[in-house]
Amino acid sequence: MFLILDEIGCYITCISDSGLASLIGIALVLALLMFSIYVKTEKPMARLSSFVAGQLCVISAIVIIVYVMQCSRMLSIEIYTGYVTISTALVLLLPRVYSRILIRRFDARPISEIIDWPQEFVDELEIKSEVYYFDSAIPRAFASGKAIFLSVGILELVDTAELKAILAHEVWHLRHNNRTPILRQLALMSFTGNRSEDELEMLADMFAEKVVGKSALESARAKVS
Amino acid sequence: MVKLDRINLSNDGLTKFFSPIEARIMQALWEHKELTTPEITEMTDIPLSSVAGTLDRLVKAGFAKRELDKSGPKVRYLYSAAESMDNTANTITKKVLDSLVDTFGKVAIENFHTYHDKK
Repeated sequence: MFLILDEIGCYITCISDSGLASLIGIALVLALLMFSIYVKTEKPMARLSSFVAGQLCVISAIVIIVYVMQCSRMLSIEIYTGYVTISTALVLLLPRVYSRILIRRFDARPISEIIDWPQEFVDELEIKSEVYYFDSAIPRAFASGKAIFLSVGILELVDTAELKAILAHEVWHLRHNNRTPILRQLALMSFTGNRSEDELEMLADMFAEKVVGKSALESARAKVS
Repeated sequence: MVKLDRINLSNDGLTKFFSPIEARIMQALWEHKELTTPEITEMTDIPLSSVAGTLDRLVKAGFAKRELDKSGPKVRYLYSAAESMDNTANTITKKVLDSLVDTFGKVAIENFHTYHDKK
């Protein structure tokens, strides 16, 4: 306890003597604002951007503090810098790595090797995403990172209109980054909650209905669920 | 569960070595040269939700094999038995005998001779 108080006293002295206290204050207030947006907002992309922006503000404040510090009592800053570096790297890298892991785990192949139109259909929905198929009779479809995965089982089961509904549903997940572990990761790291799975599925279905119509969506849902 | 370490001697017929669903699917595959997934569900009268996972397991265990047929309007699997029923029986028998000899040695072999002589 004495050490921490000592350290705080050291920070106050060094920062107030440096004349850069206002700049540090602005960076920290901005960080606080960004973290408040992260906690309050419901839009996945806004959550992600505000979290990263908040972390960047804190890093800026830390850089200035390190620059003005005249002594070596900076253990708390070192710990926080470690946390920010590791968590930001995880948040940025995990979705890309996760897709690669899934492709390898399912031994997935590009769907254009067996059917042409699903990749073209996804491209038309203006999202940069690869569609893959994998060897399994169990009807399954899911999206992760930048990829959509379909089992041969689902290709056997549904017709063209129904498959379009499924692809549109998964495209919605990719567009909103919900199926990637990013937001769950953030929720865990920042000790905050995330939107429920049911709500996300409903929103993805609403988008699919807009793209392909209600009947295709309903028959696809009836077959897959 | 298609694993010979889970043989259940008190069950009847093929269900000694396979689960009831696996046994019905394998029976259908032995009786027909090639079957699609809907044909298997219809013949065995087992819902797709149960058939699909079981087919994946049978293929993985090497009892069934499948090819991807891209010739029609939709892609589909064409299933067949990896080996004839006799060859499968041969494989299972050998594995069981190996296991008995491994565990009981001479006693198992003497019993095979007694069994053979009685026959």
